[in-house]
Amino acid sequence: MIKGRLPLVVAVLGILPFVVGNAYLQHMLVLWAIYALLALSLNMIVGYLGELTFGHAAFFGIGAYTSAILSMNYGLPVWLGPFAAAIVAAFFGAVIGYVALRIVGPQFAILTLGFGSILYTITNYWVDLTRGPMGISNIPPFSLPGLDIDFTRADRMYYVALVVLLLVAYGCRALMTSRTGRAFIAVRENAPLAASTGIDVFHTKLLGFTIATALAGVGGALYGHYLRVITPDLMSLQYVAALIIMVIVGGKGTIIGPIIGAGIYVALLEALRVVGSLRLVVFAALLTLCVIFLPGGLVSLWRRYAGRQAAGGAS
Amino acid sequence: MAKNDILLSVEGLTRRFGGLVAVSDVELSVARGEILGLIGPNGAGKTTVFNMLGGTFPPSSGRIRFDGTDVTGWPSHRMAQLGLTRTFQITSLFPTLSVLENVRAASFRRAKTGWAGAFFRTRAWREDEAALARRAEEILDFVALGHRRDMPAQALPYGEQRKLEIAVALGADPTLLLLDEPAAGMNPDEGAKLVQMIRAIRDRGVSVLLVEHHMKVVMGVCDRLVVLDHGVKIAEGQPQAVASHPEVIRVYLGREKVGA
Ligand SMILES: Nc1ncnc2c1ncn2[C@@H]1O[C@H](COP(=O)(O)OP(=O)(O)OP(=O)(O)O)[C@@H](O)[C@H]1O
Ligand SMILES: [Mg+2]
Repeated sequence: MIKGRLPLVVAVLGILPFVVGNAYLQHMLVLWAIYALLALSLNMIVGYLGELTFGHAAFFGIGAYTSAILSMNYGLPVWLGPFAAAIVAAFFGAVIGYVALRIVGPQFAILTLGFGSILYTITNYWVDLTRGPMGISNIPPFSLPGLDIDFTRADRMYYVALVVLLLVAYGCRALMTSRTGRAFIAVRENAPLAASTGIDVFHTKLLGFTIATALAGVGGALYGHYLRVITPDLMSLQYVAALIIMVIVGGKGTIIGPIIGAGIYVALLEALRVVGSLRLVVFAALLTLCVIFLPGGLVSLWRRYAGRQAAGGAS
Repeated sequence: MAKNDILLSVEGLTRRFGGLVAVSDVELSVARGEILGLIGPNGAGKTTVFNMLGGTFPPSSGRIRFDGTDVTGWPSHRMAQLGLTRTFQITSLFPTLSVLENVRAASFRRAKTGWAGAFFRTRAWREDEAALARRAEEILDFVALGHRRDMPAQALPYGEQRKLEIAVALGADPTLLLLDEPAAGMNPDEGAKLVQMIRAIRDRGVSVLLVEHHMKVVMGVCDRLVVLDHGVKIAEGQPQAVASHPEVIRVYLGREKVGA
C-alpha cells in the first residue's frame, strides 16, 4: 500500500518530532514507535504463524528486566542492552515454544497464558533480582558509545526507536519474500499440506515464535531505558490485551497494520484519559467491532477502497 | 526388474485403529516411471495406505522403502524432502493465498536462499526468486490454471481447486506423487483431461500412485493396478486382467462396473 511512497513515509516519520514540536507529543511518538515494534513482533505469531498467544507481554518484560539489570548491576553498556534482551527473551521463547507449540489452537493460547502468568509471578516474587512489585527505578537512559546524546529527551529517543522499528518492519517485509517467511504462511494456511510439501511445521513455528519473542525483548529494553522505571506490571494481562488490540485493530498479517494499530492505541489512550477506566470499555468495543465487522483490521478498509478504485477504473 | 528401478516398496504394511484392521499385511511396489493404480471399494483402506506412505501416521507394522531408504515411520515433511508428496482426498489448499502463491509456498524444497538473502537483496536471492516464480508459472500453465494466477485459491471453482492441488504437489518437486481421488468432483470432460495430465506428469519424470473411483480414469492411465478390499490386497496386475478377476468383480458387484 505504501509501495513507491516509502521514502516519503520515512521522511515524514523523520521530521515528525519537529512538526509536533512539543515534548508531550514527542513522548507519545516514542511510545508509539516502541509499541509498534512490539505489535510487529506479536504479529509474527498471530498474523504469520496464525497462533494466538496470551504470553507475549512476558517477553516484553523479560527484555526490560534483562537490559535494566545487566546495565545496572553488571556494567553492561546500555547500547548492548537490547541485544542482551533479545538473547535472553529468545531463550525463554525457545524453551516455552518448544513445550507449548506441540499443541495448537486454543490449547496453545491457554498454555501461553499459563507460562505468561508464571513469568509474571516469578518477577513479582524474586525480590533479590527484580526488587519485586516495587519495580526497578533509576534505570540508566539509552546511550551510544562515543556519542554525547541525551536520550532522556523524547525527540532524541524517538530516532532510536524509529530506526529499530524501520529495521524490523523492513526485516518482516524481507521475511515474507524468503523461503522462511513463505513457510510461516504455509503453516498458517494449512499445516498438513505444508508438511506434505516438505516444511517441518514444528520447527517453523518454533523459529517464528523465538524470533517474535526476541523482538519483544528488544522492545522491552528500549522501553525500560526510556521510561527508566519498570515494574512486573509490564508482564500483566493489561499489556497482553493492548498488544493484541494493536495487531487485530490495525490488521494482522500485514506490516503496516500493527504499526497503525499501535498509533491508534497510543492516541486513544491519551485522548480518553479524561474518561478514566472507561477507556478499557472503548478498547474492548473497538476490538469486538473489528473482530466481527473488520477481520482484516483497519488496513483492509484501504484494500477495499483501492479494490473499488481498481474495479471502477477497469470498467 | 533391477533393484534400483523400484522407487517405492512396501511389505507387510498394517494399520490398526483400535479393534479395526484398516490395512492388513499389504505388499506393493512402484517402479520408476510407473503409474500404479490403487483401487477398492469405500473403506477399503486406500487413504490409510496414503497416510502411512505420506507420513501422516506410522504403520502399526510393516516396512516402507523409498528411493533406497528405509522410511518407515518418517513424518510428512521428511518424506516430502526425500521426494514423496501426496495430495488429500478432501480438497486441501492454502485458501487465502493466490493461485500462484499456492505453488510458490510449496516450493520450499527448491528455494535455497533464506531470510538473510532477502534482507540484503543479494544476487543469489534475486535469482532464486526469479527462478521460483518462473517455475511456479510453468507449473500453473502445465495444469492449465495460468489464467487464474492472481485469484485466491478459495475462490476457484471446485474442479480447478482439484487441479491446483496437483500443481501444489508438483511445486514440491516430487519423484513419486500420490494422488487421492483427484477426479472426485470433476465432470467427464475434466476427467478426460486429468488422464492426459497424469500421463504428462509421468513424462516429467514423476512416478504416480493413484487412488481413484472413476474407472475411466483408472483404466485409461494406469500401467498396473492393486486392488484392496477390507484392508487386504485381493488382486494385482495389468488393468484388463484385474478388471476381469473374479474376486475383483465380486467386491465391486452392485457398486460400480469395472472396466466401463
Ligand atoms: N483415523 C482413523 N481412525 C479410525 N478409523 C479410521 C481412521 N482412518 C480410517 N479409518 C477407518 O479405516 C477404514 C479404511 O478407511 P480409508 O479412509 O483408508 O478407506 P478408503 O479406501 O480411502 O475409502 P474411500 O474410498 O471411501 O475414501 C475405514 O473403515 C475407516 O473408517
Ligand atoms: Mg479414501
